[in-house]
Amino acid sequence: MRQADVMNDLQHLSEEDMVLLAYGEGEDGARRHAADCASCAAALDALRGDLSQVERVDPPLRDEAYGVQVWQTIAGSLPKYRPAHQPVRRRWLSPVWLRGLSYAAACAVLAGGAFYAGRMWEQARKQPVTAVNQQPQAKPAHQKQPIVVVVLGDHLDRSERLLVELKHADADSTDLATPLRDEARTLLAANRICRHDTDGNEDPALATALDHLDQLLSEMANQPGGLNGAAIARLQNEMSTDGLLFEVRVLRTRIGSGIPEQPAGGGSQQGGTI
Amino acid sequence: MFRMGKNDHDAIRAVLGGDKDAYGELVVRHSASLFRVAFRMTGNEADADDVVQDAFLRGYRKLESFESRATFSTWIYRIAVRCALDKIESRKGMQAAGRVAEDNDPEAQEVQVMDEGAGPERLLLSGELGALRQSAMQALTATEQTAFVLRHMEDRTTEEIGAALGIQPNAAKQAVYRAVHKLRQRLAPLRVNA
Repeated sequence: MRQADVMNDLQHLSEEDMVLLAYGEGEDGARRHAADCASCAAALDALRGDLSQVERVDPPLRDEAYGVQVWQTIAGSLPKYRPAHQPVRRRWLSPVWLRGLSYAAACAVLAGGAFYAGRMWEQARKQPVTAVNQQPQAKPAHQKQPIVVVVLGDHLDRSERLLVELKHADADSTDLATPLRDEARTLLAANRICRHDTDGNEDPALATALDHLDQLLSEMANQPGGLNGAAIARLQNEMSTDGLLFEVRVLRTRIGSGIPEQPAGGGSQQGGTI
Repeated sequence: MFRMGKNDHDAIRAVLGGDKDAYGELVVRHSASLFRVAFRMTGNEADADDVVQDAFLRGYRKLESFESRATFSTWIYRIAVRCALDKIESRKGMQAAGRVAEDNDPEAQEVQVMDEGAGPERLLLSGELGALRQSAMQALTATEQTAFVLRHMEDRTTEEIGAALGIQPNAAKQAVYRAVHKLRQRLAPLRVNA
């Protein structure tokens, strides 16, 4: 005998199990137990006796005429189903859908118009400001590229020192000739890089100064026979080192302090003495 | 009046295709069986008629959700059971509102029966046995009453009862058990004097 069967023999049926058995349901184990256990069989018989007290209700008979009567009662309140083959597209063309679509389209047009008007208004505000400042759209290099500003400032600083030494160099002395030439060669390469970087930033004063500086440095670096006293004197006279020195000082001051470019002559008071 | 001869599925397709009168065939064909279960659940003809009509109205509105693999008789039967359940619940709600209080304690209910002065012998003698049974049935909840009727009078299985009531089979089994337990307590006076 299996353990489950032993357990079935030992455990009496619950009332719930008996209800199932009384109605012909229940598990086989419960059915076997009810057959073997006298007390559970008696309880099951008692349950069946109680249930038999509840007689089945026999409803009044209803024939087909009753169905006709029911149909006549409810037929008037039943809406007609829409045929299934009706094209779905017609639903989209119903007034409700068309009204909704028209609202959506109107909202889209309004939103698009507002966006476009906003863009136009913003551009209209930018143009007068640009005109007042007389600034090109691109900012000067020293305002938009901090690294370039540092390199350019250093270059102008070294160029200024070179120009000061050139200005005060004794034409009869040859002690400074070689250092000046070497420094001019170093600065010449750096000047060309700076000049290249300033292309397109539309800072005419800076571009002009660097051009002048390029010419002077080229003369100093590539002077035939070396940079002697005669060559120094000629450069001092012909290359207008005073004017170039002034330009370089103005630029260095402006870049160092972040002052934007002034109209021509605006810095005439600066650098009057060297 | 009706173009009888279509089977249930053909009639349903015709209804969904716009032929409303085809539903009349279904109503005529299944009204009697619905009335039977409705009467057994509600206990009177008027309520049973209401249940039948309500069931066919609900069925018509939900006909698009009818699945072709099911049988219409089972589908509309379940709807009728739900309608009868709603009817019983509403009736019990009205009765409860009319009473001051209702004692749900089984022992107290037994005492209540005894206190009514209608002892078993007197009940038998005065022909009020049916009234006691009816009183016992009315003491059940709507779900218990429905589950018991479907089990005891309609010979429905636990699974069918659960499907009709929209509950799990185990819950249906419990509902039947509770109904039987309460009925036995209520009808105990009859057993003592049997």
